[in-house]
Amino acid sequence: MRFRAKIVDLACLNHFSRVINTIAKLAKTCALRLTVSKLYFILSDKVANGGVSMWCELCQGNFFDEFQMEGVAAEHNEIYLELVPENLSRALKTAQNAKAVKIKLTNKHCPCLRVAVELPSLSSSSRMVTHDIPVGVIPRRLWNDFREPSVPDFDVSIYLPVLKTMKSVVERMKNLSNSIVIEANLSGEMNLKIETDLVSVTTHFKDLGNPPWASEDGCQSSTQSRDLESMAEARIDIRKLLQLLAGQQVNPTKALCNIVSKRIVHFILLHEDVSLQYFIPALA
Amino acid sequence: MKCVIAGAHLRVFGRAIHAIARISDEFSFDPIEKGVVKTYNLTCQECDPLQAVFAKHMCPNILKVHPRLLADIMIHFPTSQEEVTLSVTPMKVCFKSYTEEDTDFSKTMLTEIQLNPDEFDYFQVGVDSEVTFCLKELRGLLAFSEATSVPVSIHFDVSGKPIAFSIEDMVLEASFILATLSDVEKETASQQPPDFSQLQESLKTGMGKSGTNSMDKDSNPEAVASRKPPWDGSAPNTEPAKPVSLLAKQEIKSIPRIMMREVTGMEGTAMTETEGHAVLGGEARESHYQKFHSLFFGAVSCKEQDAISHTFHSLATASDTEEDFGNVQSSQVL
Repeated sequence: MRFRAKIVDLACLNHFSRVINTIAKLAKTCALRLTVSKLYFILSDKVANGGVSMWCELCQGNFFDEFQMEGVAAEHNEIYLELVPENLSRALKTAQNAKAVKIKLTNKHCPCLRVAVELPSLSSSSRMVTHDIPVGVIPRRLWNDFREPSVPDFDVSIYLPVLKTMKSVVERMKNLSNSIVIEANLSGEMNLKIETDLVSVTTHFKDLGNPPWASEDGCQSSTQSRDLESMAEARIDIRKLLQLLAGQQVNPTKALCNIVSKRIVHFILLHEDVSLQYFIPALA
Repeated sequence: MKCVIAGAHLRVFGRAIHAIARISDEFSFDPIEKGVVKTYNLTCQECDPLQAVFAKHMCPNILKVHPRLLADIMIHFPTSQEEVTLSVTPMKVCFKSYTEEDTDFSKTMLTEIQLNPDEFDYFQVGVDSEVTFCLKELRGLLAFSEATSVPVSIHFDVSGKPIAFSIEDMVLEASFILATLSDVEKETASQQPPDFSQLQESLKTGMGKSGTNSMDKDSNPEAVASRKPPWDGSAPNTEPAKPVSLLAKQEIKSIPRIMMREVTGMEGTAMTETEGHAVLGGEARESHYQKFHSLFFGAVSCKEQDAISHTFHSLATASDTEEDFGNVQSSQVL
């Protein structure tokens, strides 16, 4: 099992750091899956997470100048590592003006991702900062836990409002209630609602647009026959929603959510070279 | 006592307070003159200043560096990082997270920074060494020295001997002297920990009249004194049964007293005392792998006429009392 990668381009490095920062805000511990062409940060839906799951996919070619990976075995040319993304985030935080960043899987006292940052210095030779981030190697028999989640059979799919606006609304609502209802219809309307004994607050968004999902077999998708005004809704933990919104450091190219009434809300945030899916289950 | 600080000095004074605040809940200072801008009433306590001795000029290793560089190095360590190890050879300098035998590597992120000697304004390594000291307390000095933009001098020796971080400019000199972890401490199984309760008592009474406040609370959780004399390589340990001043048992909540005097160049204030003062920070943890921090903070007037002005009389003996005064004092001179 070998892994080494290198970033020399500052823009790529900053972009990668931002992705890691976002992941660090969403998960305390997660799995990092390495394949020849991609990296994945995966959080599988355990009870410990409150049923939340995350799937974040990056094309390594968009970030790394060098990327070499040898998986556990020829037929399974992948590596799964468990790590604390906050550690990676911290290691990259002070690398903002680095000449180069190298990441390597090592095993000195225990398996580690060694992040070596070459920084410019006043002297002839560079300053080298090395961070050893402990990781756990996830054995092959557990890889099934980390499969890509499928898009649920949703009732409504709708583009999200501007994330910044949505975040500030949800932030204020968080002070009043622990749960929030997201409802949306196929007419591009979305409401965020909270209700307590004393007060109920609803924020209305309209003209959001509904993404066109082509169904696989070419026939009408279930949403086509649905009444356009009818709202699909789910009540979710407000803090989990806020974690997702607050963690976004860059505006995505596309942001949408799929609502399965009373079951789950599936968020998809797409950037040019990163896709992030986040699932928040409905509260009972 | 009426104290007044004028103009720009207030900023430096403020920074000094911030630096001290990272170490202790209390501080004390000697009177200054002239220039009323604002009046603040601060409570303080009388105390007996502690004395110490540390011969900076006898250190084989001396580094001098702009505080900005030190700050740029320390930023790579998490703020929760307690101890760092400085490792030098004539060819390179390395700061790294401190690890010990029972560090759980699977849970700890380790950071290491390698620098070229070129980066230092002055670089002298007489003996290869690896010293481990408390980073948390150093951050106070770094913040303070950045305010003054004065280069920081680092004097040190081999592990176990103290390391001094000092800055000096027109109006002040400040030194932070920290203990470093001694390799000898690893072989200490046989030696019994000295009698601490006496020392504890002596510290309390020596500190003057304050039964009330900080004695009773954990004033300085991060300042921990070593169980063994940190500079045991050189100090003649004639009294093995007696506590060396820095030793403190768990319960000691001794008060670090920091004295710092600032003398403005123009005033020609006569310094009544020529010694610096020092601080002993308090609390030893009982781990068989000695945890330690001892911190001294002394400032010396640049007007000092003392012939041995380079020798800091600033090693805390901490037993300015009837009981152990004589014995302890003698074992502390370096």
